[in-house]
Formats: sequence, structure tokens, C-alpha cells
Amino acid sequence: MGGVSAYLIPVVALILSATPGLKGAETVWSGLVIAENVAEPQPIPAELTRIEGSLKKFFGYNQFQVIGQSQKTLKTGQEDWLATSKFFGLHVDARGESEANYVLNLKLYKEKELLLETDAKLSKRSPLVIKGPQVGSGQLLLVLVVQ
Amino acid sequence: MKTFEEKWTTWVDGQLSGRELAEFEASLPDKAAAEAEKAEARKLGKLLKNELGVRALTNEEFFSHQLREKIAQEQASRRFRGRRTETSTWWTIPRLLWTGTVSIAVFVICTVLVMHEKNPSEESQYLTQILNARVDPVVSPNATVSMFEVKQDRVTVLWTEGLQSLPADYAAK
Repeated sequence: MGGVSAYLIPVVALILSATPGLKGAETVWSGLVIAENVAEPQPIPAELTRIEGSLKKFFGYNQFQVIGQSQKTLKTGQEDWLATSKFFGLHVDARGESEANYVLNLKLYKEKELLLETDAKLSKRSPLVIKGPQVGSGQLLLVLVVQ
Repeated sequence: MKTFEEKWTTWVDGQLSGRELAEFEASLPDKAAAEAEKAEARKLGKLLKNELGVRALTNEEFFSHQLREKIAQEQASRRFRGRRTETSTWWTIPRLLWTGTVSIAVFVICTVLVMHEKNPSEESQYLTQILNARVDPVVSPNATVSMFEVKQDRVTVLWTEGLQSLPADYAAK
């Protein structure tokens, strides 16, 4: 019997390791970010650290400040939520989930006025950045990251 | 009453005696020729006995003969048992388990290889994709949208141009 388990255990382990991982609840971070060039930039928020290089390279700003944010844990993939600042609102409506991504409908409001709407498949490994309107000398960015 | 041939055989074997011997030898027409024939017959008998007789085995030979027979029997029975073992062991439970295990292992390896080969082509599924984007044409009539991916950080960017600019007050938290 010991001999049988000696080779059955590695085989079962191999099968389990080859099976795709079971999905658990995941959290989506949504942020309204003002990007600016300032003399003494503040440290980048922790949520953006992962994409700091890309943000600086493609938008050309040295400071990124979060003016509104929301963290939503998705359980069914059908939830919706709102990230707001004083004047802007980002409404996120999750419309389904696959193994690798969530299907989202995004609406950017300025007060009650719809500025931009987009549908996207947000990958669990790939953040989404949306360039919004110019605000003063800076730029409004919308960022969504699956944490 | 013995015939002449019977008496002759008995005489050649040297088993006649007494009166019977005297009477038989007296009845021989040529005793010298008969004696010569008797001597030849005895000589031939002795030769045949030496050449055709069963040779008795010595103790040593008998013992080694017995040993050889026993060894031959054992080898034959071992060969028979070996054949039985060869044919019966293949479908024993351990063999079946091994066969099953090897089959599962081959299946898992093939599955992993197929999944591994599929991954590069499915890489795009791990990047965020923008399906469509719309800008209110009344609020921003000249706005355009484009999209691109930054492979380095796996970031997908929706790039808008021509959206209505807003005063700095709108940056308030």
C-alpha cells in the first residue's frame, strides 16, 4: 500500500498543479487622477506604483494625485459602483466575467453631464488608463486596476 | 528323456557328469572334433558375456547419475514456473496501477504542452481591450479617441483629444 501511495501522490499533485487556478473574489480599484507638472512632486499613490513608468512616459507629467477613488470587490462580476471627486464621477458597471477579464461599461460625468462612455474588457493582469479632459494646467486620468 | 541336442548343450555348458557324461561322450562319433567345437562355443559365450552384459555402475557413477537426474528435474520445473510467472505477472494489480499511472502522466504532460503552446496566441486576452468609446458630440464636437497598449507594463490606454478643457477648480477632491 505504501508503494502505491508513493507514486500516486506525485501524480495527483501533478494533476492538481496543471488544473487552472480556482477563481476567488477580486478587487477593482478605480481612481480619478490629476496629473500635473510641479516643482516638487508628491510621491505617487501606492495604487499607481505599478504603472508609474508608463504614466510618466506617455503623459509627460511628474505628479499624480488621486482626487477620487473606489475599491470594489467583485463577487458575481455584475456589480456597479461609482468613484467620485467634487466635480467628476466615474460610473463603472460590470457586465460579466470571464477567466481572464471583466466586461465593463464606463461613464465619465462632469457633474451631471456625460463626457465620455466606453466599453472595455478589463484584464486582471492589465490596468486601464483613460485620458480625460484638460483641467487647469493638468490632466484628468481615469485608472482602473484589478488588485 | 533328453534329446541329443539337449544333451549336447548341457555337455558344452559342462553340466553333464557321471554316467550320463560317459554315455554321451561314448555316443560321439568324433570326440576330438566335439571337444574342439565345445571349446569354441565356450570361448564365444565368454566373449558375448563380456561385450553384451550390463555393466555394473560403481558407487561414484551411481551417485553422480542420481544427482544429474535431480538437477535436470529441478531445471525443468523452474523453467515451467518461470513461464507461468512471465505470463501471469503482466496483469497483476501493481502492473495495472503502473499502467494507469503512466497513462495519466502522459495525458497530463500532453495537456500541459498543449496549454503551453496555446498561451502565446492567447496573450492578447490578458491585455485590457477597449471595445468601443463615445464622446458626447454636443459637449466636445471635435473630440477624437484612439487606443493603444503599452506592452512593458501591460497597460491599455484610451487616448482622447479635443475634450472640453476645464478650469483648475475641477481638480478639487
